[in-house]
This record gives sequence, C-alpha cells and structure tokens, in this order.
Amino acid sequence: MNRTRTFLAATAMALPLALAAAPADAQQTTLRIFVGGQQRPDVMRQILDAYQARNPGVRVEVEIGGATSDQQQQYLNTVLTSRDAAIDVMLIDVIRPAQFAAAGWAEPLDAYLGAEKDAVMARYLPAYREANIVGGKVIALPYFADAQFLYYRTDLLEKYKLQPPKTWEELTAAARTVMQGENNPNLRGFATAGAPIEGTVCTFLVPMWGAGGQFLNPQGKPDVGSAAARRSLQLWSDLKAANVTPPNLAEVVTDRIRVDFQAGNLLFAMQWGYAWNRFQNDADSTVKGKTNVVPLPGFAGNQPATCIGGWQIAVSAFSKNKPAAVNLLRYLSSPEVSKMQAILASHLPVFAEVYQDPEVLRVNPWFQFARNVVVTGRSRPVSPDYPEVSEIIRTNMNAFLAGTRSADQIIADMNSRLARVYR
Amino acid sequence: MAAAKRYKLSKLERDERRLGFALLAPAALLLAAVVVYPIAELVANSFYSFRLTRPGFRFIGLENYAFALFEDDRFLHSVLNTVIFIVVTVPGALVVGMGLALLANQPFRIKWPVRLGLLLPWALPLVFAGLIFRWFFDFRQGFVNWALEAVGIAPPQWLSDPQLAFVAVCVAIVWKSSSFMALILLAGLQTIPKSLYEAAEVDGASKYQQFVEITLPMLKPAIVVALIFRTITAIQTFDIPYAMTGGGPGTATETMAMYIHKTTIDFLDLGYGSALATLMFLISIVATSVYLRHTRRDTGRH
Repeated sequence: MNRTRTFLAATAMALPLALAAAPADAQQTTLRIFVGGQQRPDVMRQILDAYQARNPGVRVEVEIGGATSDQQQQYLNTVLTSRDAAIDVMLIDVIRPAQFAAAGWAEPLDAYLGAEKDAVMARYLPAYREANIVGGKVIALPYFADAQFLYYRTDLLEKYKLQPPKTWEELTAAARTVMQGENNPNLRGFATAGAPIEGTVCTFLVPMWGAGGQFLNPQGKPDVGSAAARRSLQLWSDLKAANVTPPNLAEVVTDRIRVDFQAGNLLFAMQWGYAWNRFQNDADSTVKGKTNVVPLPGFAGNQPATCIGGWQIAVSAFSKNKPAAVNLLRYLSSPEVSKMQAILASHLPVFAEVYQDPEVLRVNPWFQFARNVVVTGRSRPVSPDYPEVSEIIRTNMNAFLAGTRSADQIIADMNSRLARVYR
Repeated sequence: MAAAKRYKLSKLERDERRLGFALLAPAALLLAAVVVYPIAELVANSFYSFRLTRPGFRFIGLENYAFALFEDDRFLHSVLNTVIFIVVTVPGALVVGMGLALLANQPFRIKWPVRLGLLLPWALPLVFAGLIFRWFFDFRQGFVNWALEAVGIAPPQWLSDPQLAFVAVCVAIVWKSSSFMALILLAGLQTIPKSLYEAAEVDGASKYQQFVEITLPMLKPAIVVALIFRTITAIQTFDIPYAMTGGGPGTATETMAMYIHKTTIDFLDLGYGSALATLMFLISIVATSVYLRHTRRDTGRH
C-alpha cells in the first residue's frame, strides 16, 4: 500500500517534467562556451541572454574557469587533446591562434564565411585581423581588444606640477620626485607584472621594443641578447634599485597591480585596459576621478611600444554543433556586441567605428586615443610552441627581477632554450 | 595403482591451478590495463619526438634521454631540488611527527581534540595546504611577516628569494606530512606494553632513558613503514610548491614532477615528457627497493 502510493507519487511528479521536456528538446540546441574569470563572464552572460531572446532554439551555457591566461590554456589543453566535445566555443588569448591552428583544435571558419570572408575580416582592426588568420585560414574571430597602457594618478602629478612621462627616463624622475615629496612608505612609483605569469613576457618585451629592439633577428631566429634587450633589463634593475617598484616585484601578478593602484599605493602602473572600469566603478576604489591613461613610455629617441592583448573566439574542432556555434561566433564578434562590451566592461573594441560611438565615449572618454595605442601595439612572438616560448621568457625574467640571476645568465639561458624551440 | 593415484592427484591439482588462474585473471587484466599498459606506452613514447603542437611522430632513439641527462640543466636542477626536499622534509616530518605522536599518546582524559588536530592537516588537500601557506608567507599580507614586524624584524620576501622560498615550502611540506607520520607512529606507540615502562620506572630509568631504550626500538617497524611511504610521496612532490611558488622564483623550487607536468601538459611535448617521467619512475623504483631490502633484512633477523 505504502509502496504503491510512493510509486504513484513519483510517477505523478515525473510525468509533467517529461512532457515539458519533450517538445523543447526537439529543436533546442545547447552550446557551451568557455570563458576565463578575467573576461567578465557576467557581461558575457548578459550578451548571451540577448542572443537567446533572439534565437529561441539555442541555449548557451557559460563555463567559467582559470583566473589567468595560462590556467585557462592548461584546462583547454586537457579538454582539446582528449578531443572532448563538451565545449563548443571558447575564448582564447590573442597569442594562441598559431598554436590552435597547428594542433588542429579550432575549426577553420573559411568554409562557413564563404564569399563573405574578405569583407568580414576587413572590418576588424588590422592587428586583430592578422592575429586570427594563420596560414591563410581564419582560426578565430576577435572578441575584444586590449593593450597595456600607462595609468597615472592625475592628482599627484598636478600636485608636483609634472607632465605624464613620454620616456622611461621621465617616468623614473617623476616617480622619485613624488615619492620623496609624499613621504608615504606605502606609496610606490611604478609597478608591472613580475611573477612567472604571461604578463611578465610583456614586462621584458615592451622596453626592449621601446629601445628599438626586435625579438627575432633578421634571420628569423630569436635573439634576446641585443643592446635593446639589455636596456630593458637595465631599466628594471635600476627602477628596483631606486625603490621605485615594489620590493616584491617578482611576486606581482597582473591583478595585484590593479588592487594596489586602486588602494592609492601606486603613482604609475603598466596595466591592461580592463583596470579602467574597476578604478572608476569599484566601491573600494580610492582613485575614482584621479586616474588617467597615456601610451607607455619609450626610451628617448625611440618610438614607444606596447603589447597587444585581447581575446578571440574559436569554435572547437570537436564540437558536435558547429553550424550553430559559428552563428553564435558571428554574433559575439559583431560591432553590436563590441559596443555592449565597451559600455558594460570597458573592453576595447575590435572595430574602428566603435571607438567613435558617442555612447561608448561617454562611458570611456579615454577610448579617443586608446585606438591609436591599440593600432601601434605589437604582437608577442607568434609560434605554435608559444606556451614554451612564453615560459622561457617569464621564468627567466622572474628570476632576474627576484635578483637571483644576472642579466648575462638569463640572456644565455633564454637564447639557448629558445634556439631549441625555433630550430 | 600408485601411478594412477598420482595422476588423479595431479589432475585435481591442475583443476585447482586452473581455477586459481581463472579467479586471478580479472585482477591481472585490470592491473595490466591500468598499470602495465600505461607504463609500456610511456616508455615507448619516450623514444619518439612527439609534440602535440606539431604534427609528426618520429623515432629518435635515446635522444630525449641524452638531452635530459647531459644538456638539460633545468631537469638536473629539478632532480637536485627534489633530493633536497626529500632530505629535509622526510626527517623533518619524522621528528615533528614523533613529537606529535608522543603528545597524542599522553593519557588525556578527552582524547578526540588531540586526535582531530592530528587528522586535520592530513585530511586537507595538498593544494589547499599550499595556498594557505602561500598566504601565510605573503610579503605584505602574510601572517609570518606580520608577526616578524610585530617584534621589530624587517620582513623578508619569503617567496621571491630562492633560499627563503625553499625554507617556506619545506615548512609547509613538514606541517602537512608530519600528521601522517604521527598517525602511523601513534598506532605503533599503542602496541608497546605499558608493563615495560612500569618495569623501567621501578628500575629507576629516566624518561629519556625510557624513550631511547624502550620506545625507539619498539617503534622501529612503524618508523620504517612511515619513512618508506613518506619518501615515495616526497619523490613525487608537486602540489605544495606548485600552489605556493609555481616553482619560482625562476625555477628555484621546481621539482621533477613539476617540470614533467610543465613539459607534458603546458608544452605538450609528450615525447620528452615521457622520457623525464620514465627517469623519475626509475628513481622511484631504486629508492623503494633500497628501503624494501632494508625491511626484508630487518624482518629476517627478528
């Protein structure tokens, strides 16, 4: 009796569920997109909700993972080498398309774009168009752009009647003046990434480019022993010796710079575009309205340079819903979404016209010149073995910033290890 | 007649043997599938140039091994780091674990708080322990530097100085593994008859003499077992330095297992990673067999 009743109750409960699920399943496509914690999954969700409202047959789930580019890639390495179909669409860092193309992880989009291919790609900023085409094939589409800027405290520079620095020499002098004048033990002049993370690769490359150096020599082989590279290393050891940078520079990760600047403990910072929004809107920000950005300095007599960053969207080669995934991709890489991201997350657009949009400029006045920075930004080395290239540079740079290895030692180690990767 | 009888007996024997094999077969097959096959595959891959980032799978003989042993300073450095971790943390955990076990063996009226305190570090996942200690040794927000500043000592940069980072990681490993040591030693302590201590007491032996003359010799089997387990896990040290320093600064705290992980998972260089893993496997086998020989001799004597 009791058992019968339980059975009936269970059936009664399950029945409506089964009935409700059946017709919906008939046309519903469920896609899964992988997003890192740093790329504003909350904003992605809002964008996807708008997409779902327009496309009732598609449901998109967001999978969030990895606090840094490296951790995201580690996870994707596991998923993609095992040919797992669980993820249909994924965000990948701007440095990855070459690797995804060589490993065959991303579905080339040429066949889906068809005759439109050239017209579609022509709309993007050149650096992003080039980053996503590998060996003539479209591997991914740009989602948002990014670049490293020099953030500075407007109130402190005004107080000491200083101009935003254009060269590293000016930056060092300004930092010293302000630090002496303020006499605040918590205040440091400048910070950049120094921990063994992806951002530390740019810490090495940016001043090297700013001194006129190149990563590859004219023969196409890596050479990090140039005069420009030594100048980059010298800059960091000078700033460290002068106590302009935090003493624990070798522990500093990207978001720690954001936190310190926000707490009012930094005068200058080499930081990505995402931080702007946090400085202006976070409840605990002490630098609201006291922050501005300019292009990163160079060395006197040379063009300044910056690392370009940003995130691309690719369709997994192992997805079982490729046409639906490509449709979603086209939407996510549209001017409409670029504008939504710019307003909601201050993500830099990948379309030139979005930088001019009045609504975007009202929220992000600094986008006016940000476009020029993004356009002149340089790409980190392009290689299918980029993870290894990056690791060689950042662990050596980290050891150098920690003061455990000399410039000569790390140049020798980087050159011999890089030669093995590029042979 | 006798021959027939013998034949009958051996048939029974054969049947039994056949049954024995049949009963063993599932376990043997399972073991072959999950242990023998992966190891064979690993060793086979180690003779190839096999990178997932580039197409191609090319036989290169011993080239991977030659590079690891004669050219790759980073690998040799990671072996050295692992050896130092073993030499420092295994005895370290033994000493601390012994102290904890002796403490827990005291006749407390309520035993569970002490036992719980012993169990908790052991039950905590290794990565959590690493993260907790990273915060502990953080330059600006860490407890250690806070305490040092409170007594007027200039705070050092624990995790970006190679020597100090090593010390910090060792402290974390000893903290984490000494509770495991203590659990095994505590079990050993409880098998020692109380009468031995009572007799020693009557004879006027001091507490120290009791420890050296009774506790240590009686505890020897437990100590050897604890050391074997601890050494084998120490060869594989990965989680705590991975979470605390990521092998940094530079590669100052990188262990063998971390370098293998980096080569295979991050660089997707499966050929070279397999060669490194095979070398680590050989080191584990050598270390284990040294211990096993020691214990076999030991049990033979008793």
